[in-house]
Amino acid sequence: MGWTLSVTIALYSLGLLHSVFGFWQKRQVFVRIALGMVACGFAFHTLSLILLSVQRRHFPITNLPESLCFFAWCISLTFMIADIRYRINVLGAFILPLVSLLTIFSQVIWEDHNAIPAPLNSAWVHFHVSVAFLAYAAFFLTFVSGVLYLIQEKELKEKHFRFLYFRLPSLQVCDELFRRSLFVGFVAMSLAIISGAVWAQQAWGRFWSWDPKETASLVTWGIYLALVNYRFSTRWRGRRAAYISIVGFVSTLFTFGVNWGLHRYL
Amino acid sequence: MFNLILVGLNHRTAKLDVRQLASFNAEQLPDGLRRLSEYPDIRESMIVSTCNRVEILSNVDPQSDGVESIESFLSEYSGIARPQLQPKLYQYRDEQAVRHVFRVASSLDSMVLGEPQILGQMKSCYTTAVDARTVGTSLNSLLQSAFRIAKRVRSETSIGEYPVSVSSAAVELVRKIFGDLQKKSILIVGAGKMGEAAIHHLADMGAKAIYVTNRSPEAARDLAGRFNGLAVPFAELNHWISHVDIVITSTGASDMLITRSMVQSVMHERKNAPIAFIDISVPRNIDPEIGAIGNVFCYDIDDLAAVVEANLHERVKAAATAEKIIEQEVQAFCAKAKSMDVGPVVKQVQGRIQAICQTELERCLRKLGPQEEKQLQELETMIARIAGKIAHPLVMQLRSNPNSLNESAYMDLITRLIKTKDSE
Repeated sequence: MGWTLSVTIALYSLGLLHSVFGFWQKRQVFVRIALGMVACGFAFHTLSLILLSVQRRHFPITNLPESLCFFAWCISLTFMIADIRYRINVLGAFILPLVSLLTIFSQVIWEDHNAIPAPLNSAWVHFHVSVAFLAYAAFFLTFVSGVLYLIQEKELKEKHFRFLYFRLPSLQVCDELFRRSLFVGFVAMSLAIISGAVWAQQAWGRFWSWDPKETASLVTWGIYLALVNYRFSTRWRGRRAAYISIVGFVSTLFTFGVNWGLHRYL
Repeated sequence: MFNLILVGLNHRTAKLDVRQLASFNAEQLPDGLRRLSEYPDIRESMIVSTCNRVEILSNVDPQSDGVESIESFLSEYSGIARPQLQPKLYQYRDEQAVRHVFRVASSLDSMVLGEPQILGQMKSCYTTAVDARTVGTSLNSLLQSAFRIAKRVRSETSIGEYPVSVSSAAVELVRKIFGDLQKKSILIVGAGKMGEAAIHHLADMGAKAIYVTNRSPEAARDLAGRFNGLAVPFAELNHWISHVDIVITSTGASDMLITRSMVQSVMHERKNAPIAFIDISVPRNIDPEIGAIGNVFCYDIDDLAAVVEANLHERVKAAATAEKIIEQEVQAFCAKAKSMDVGPVVKQVQGRIQAICQTELERCLRKLGPQEEKQLQELETMIARIAGKIAHPLVMQLRSNPNSLNESAYMDLITRLIKTKDSE
């Protein structure tokens, strides 16, 4: 493990602690400090990815630990954009645990086995993998905002004016984040599938071969297509959309996990 | 440490009529301060007077009690005889007084815990006292600390964050649904006297549009004028419900104006956009059952009371944190005040000089051999006078300069100089 990643993990973990404390105590200051720490952590994370790319002379995403590490980077990026854009104080407490865990876990299971097959080593690897991971990260945000929406809606409907009522953002803000992240995730996922097909055509001579990951991603894409369609036509609003986003995220995780067949490299 | 004394009464110790008699308005304050400063044992003073409290904070002569003067001043000023006034007064000294001032400024002693006005009121009372030149360095440092601590309490605890009036709680509640209210529109149904404050509060939130309707069109127009809204016909109630985000009912009607089936059909038209109903009328005008419909939020006056209750509870929790901050600050302030205390330093200076003179006298007597009683006495008197004359200007200097900018450093220097001599 390089020193840049050690610093990254330290900063993410500190950011997580500050977020949780700020959430618990309703202290804005700690939430702002947390954002600063995550931003610094993100800078080191980026640096470590660049250093690794230069050393390997390809995108460091050829095995599971590397992909987890990159996934953490994507979530961290979407978290910062969402936090700066919407100023949702509690977001860190819900998103940073995964960022920290993924980064730490990727280092624990780190392996240097990282050969990339010659036919796949093209410029497409950067694009395809980047948009796919961006989609995963955006869907994670959709999932989190959906869950926050469900909790807050329950508190409001059942008139429980307690701990979470005071701390969670308004339904409006949850919904806004939900729609934005859903839109970004859906576009990125579509691009990932299209770019994957084009790349497959170049590498293997076929657009689509129904390998497990391709199939899973198509299912996931279908779920989100339905969600996008119904959410933006406003027929599914609020609670129902939030439930579908949970189903969608489970499917996303499955898609992320099936790494065999043609996608055995990842 | 300076001799602080605080004498006062507040909403817990005195009823409104007594508080009114004892209170000072803005014009009376300077005169009150001037009259207070005429008492010989009052060195510095300020008066805090609000509708819930009248307190006199003074730095008094160490030789006197101070309470006597302040009580007679208050009795004279309010026209309440001392035996009647005394049981309503509380008094705090030194550390207790410091703590009380800090707590009052941080709104921990307020009738409505955490209400923000007290700080501003204290500041203006302080400014008046500064203008009247009755505040010196010790009260100055105490009040500046109190203002800083009040700010610290506000920023480090959430004591002021939770609204505790029904109207502001209603605003807070709809904000939890809609976030920013600036793009939202409000429909007010009825002209009932109930909860007019709540309606005003919501209407003042800068909503995009306010519509008003009532069974009688004249009353609707009158209401629209008061809330700066647009009067709409009562017959079109359904139509307007499907167009606004927040509906507030406050009518004298005894029937349900808004029913479940009505809202169900409206939600279809609204494409499920969330809507909040706030029913301030008693008896209710909105069927509470509508809360079961998706994206519909319905609250009545009891629910708003429950929000207020919950908010008060949060304030009480925040107050516990605030008390800790204050205790910490009281200790810090008192420690600093003690370090500036000239008393021990004066004693050390005098003691040291006397000790030097005494040793020299003894040495001299040893050399001279036995002396007559009268000569011995004369020598001792002389030595004591020398010691006194050397010490006097030093002590005067110390006493006259207890509050200069670098007071604690100054004390420290003198103490160290004396200690160095001691250890020789």
